[in-house]
Amino acid sequence: MGLIENLKSYTEGINLSSDKKELLDSFLTKGFPSIKDEEWKYTSLRKVVKNDFKIDESSFDISENEIENYSLNLVDRILFVNGNLISKPSIKGVTISNFSEGNITNNTEMSSLNSALAKKGFTISVDKNIVVENPIEILFFTNSETDNFQQYRNQISVGENAEIKFVERIQNLNKSKCFVNHFTQINVAKNAKIEYNKIQNNTNNSTLIDTLNVFQESDTNCCVNTLIFGGELTRNNLNFEQNGTNCDSNMNGVSVLDDNQIADNHTFVDHKQAHCRSNEMYKGIYLGDSKGVFNGKIMVRQDAQKIDAFQSNNNLLLSETSTIDSKPQLEIYADDVKCSHGCTIGQLDEDALFYMRSRGIGVEEAKAVLTYAFASEAIENISVEEVKLLAQKLLAKKLNVDLDFSL
Amino acid sequence: MLKINNLKAGIEDNQILKGINLEIKTGQVHAIMGPNGSGKSTLASVIAGKEEYEVEGGEIDFEGTDLLDLSPEERAHKGVFLSFQYPVEIPGISVSNFIKTSINERRKAAGLDPMPAKELLRKLREKMELLSIKKGYLSRNMNDGFSGGEKKRNEIFQMAILEPKLSILDETDSGLDIDALRIVANGVNKLRSEDNATIVITHYQRLLDYIVPDFVHVLHNGRIIKSGGKELAHELEEKGYDWITKEADKKWD
Repeated sequence: MGLIENLKSYTEGINLSSDKKELLDSFLTKGFPSIKDEEWKYTSLRKVVKNDFKIDESSFDISENEIENYSLNLVDRILFVNGNLISKPSIKGVTISNFSEGNITNNTEMSSLNSALAKKGFTISVDKNIVVENPIEILFFTNSETDNFQQYRNQISVGENAEIKFVERIQNLNKSKCFVNHFTQINVAKNAKIEYNKIQNNTNNSTLIDTLNVFQESDTNCCVNTLIFGGELTRNNLNFEQNGTNCDSNMNGVSVLDDNQIADNHTFVDHKQAHCRSNEMYKGIYLGDSKGVFNGKIMVRQDAQKIDAFQSNNNLLLSETSTIDSKPQLEIYADDVKCSHGCTIGQLDEDALFYMRSRGIGVEEAKAVLTYAFASEAIENISVEEVKLLAQKLLAKKLNVDLDFSL
Repeated sequence: MLKINNLKAGIEDNQILKGINLEIKTGQVHAIMGPNGSGKSTLASVIAGKEEYEVEGGEIDFEGTDLLDLSPEERAHKGVFLSFQYPVEIPGISVSNFIKTSINERRKAAGLDPMPAKELLRKLREKMELLSIKKGYLSRNMNDGFSGGEKKRNEIFQMAILEPKLSILDETDSGLDIDALRIVANGVNKLRSEDNATIVITHYQRLLDYIVPDFVHVLHNGRIIKSGGKELAHELEEKGYDWITKEADKKWD
């Protein structure tokens, strides 16, 4: 049975509130998005949703060893196993609790489905004026024996003048197939600051659809870094809504893919207020038969004057059969703004390769160093040192070289 | 140390080197001079192993091995170093990271462990002093935004660190002002020893006032048409190239 059928039979037996029932019905009628949908033109879920995913697997045995292998082992850690909250840190001024309903979201099929049925996830609130020094690691592990479908729904609210950083990782620890529909909403109050790092290095039988909505009040600074090194299919919907003046929305992305991996980054910045900035830098490195998609939409509303928006998407195709579809989308209704975007697709520079080889650097290593150099601009923007180091390590591993880029 | 026999090479159908013969012994400095387009940079690139050049014949014997059988990195591991006429900019890699990688790649090829960080830093500092390089330089990106002079100095800095047996300086003087030229030449002279050798490729005599060669060769139209001592460079400076190139053209036409 496919996922739609499994969802149908799963929901027959449960009671839903009327608005959730409505969401679910609309989802079941329309089904999963397909390539006929403009927003999904380059990424097909058809094959994935044919799998016989089971819903709601609830065991939570896990060994310390497994956790350590897939963790940055930061001091403050929130751990979920198959959606069950196993442990959480205690931090002054920060309240961490289990799933809470939050607002209904129905702007896409995937968020409707999540809104209707998700029962797992975290709720975090950071009190005003609280500055949290250490980044908090959030781990979502699945280790179900059967192919499974998971939905997490998370909320973070950052109080006025507060500052906090997160590192999130969703990881399938088993050989079974896993499909996660992940949803996170972040509300950032005046003059607060947040950095959210996503490490997406899942197994080659894992699918992730990750929607992250950030709502910014005035004078806020929000940064989301997305590092994709694995997963069969990864789709990120990253949406920023600037509801106050003097906001900064920053996005850095590095995708390093091989085999048949697909990674699709959809970003949307909604500039609703004046004197704000957005800056996005996405770097893609494609090996084997992998495929990348980048779609960056920037909307500047009529009242949003003096906006400075910058977007870049640079891609390296390192094999004959890898592909990238890149699409900038700028909609500008204000007249005094600075918006620019750029997209490049290329190969490694032969002169630079010879230069490095003439200094004794082997050809594979030289390629790796150049590839690292290509990605480093985005990696350098990450402020959590552990994440930066992991990115360097994963990159070297993916390129099959033994190099240490740190000094 | 180096013996080039009847080396012929070019790009696609265009033969650039038409039979080069050159022998260099340890402890020697050879200057290769010649007008633009004579094949000077091609010779340097072919010795270093640039793959876009096709070698049609001859050999480059380096301490008993034909370099033509080796990859560029293997040549570097054997002790060949080319200081580029146009060093390549590599944004995203710091000078220190680049140099660390090249040292450790060489050590790996020799079956050694990576150089301990302390030793590496000491070495970097020592060579920075030799070339009057300021602090902060190591964390700059490789040649990125460097002035012409800074790029050349960076080449000699790498040479100082890698301590090659055979150094080929391709137009190292171009882009250098007189002070930078002195510093770079002084660095090269300090690195000279009885165990290594240097090929200085230059268009002008100026550099040879500072790095004094044992032999001077004139390259023209892919051949060495005249060899002599350091006084040949002065003669060329005075009289230009015409007087020997005309003669050579008659001979080879």
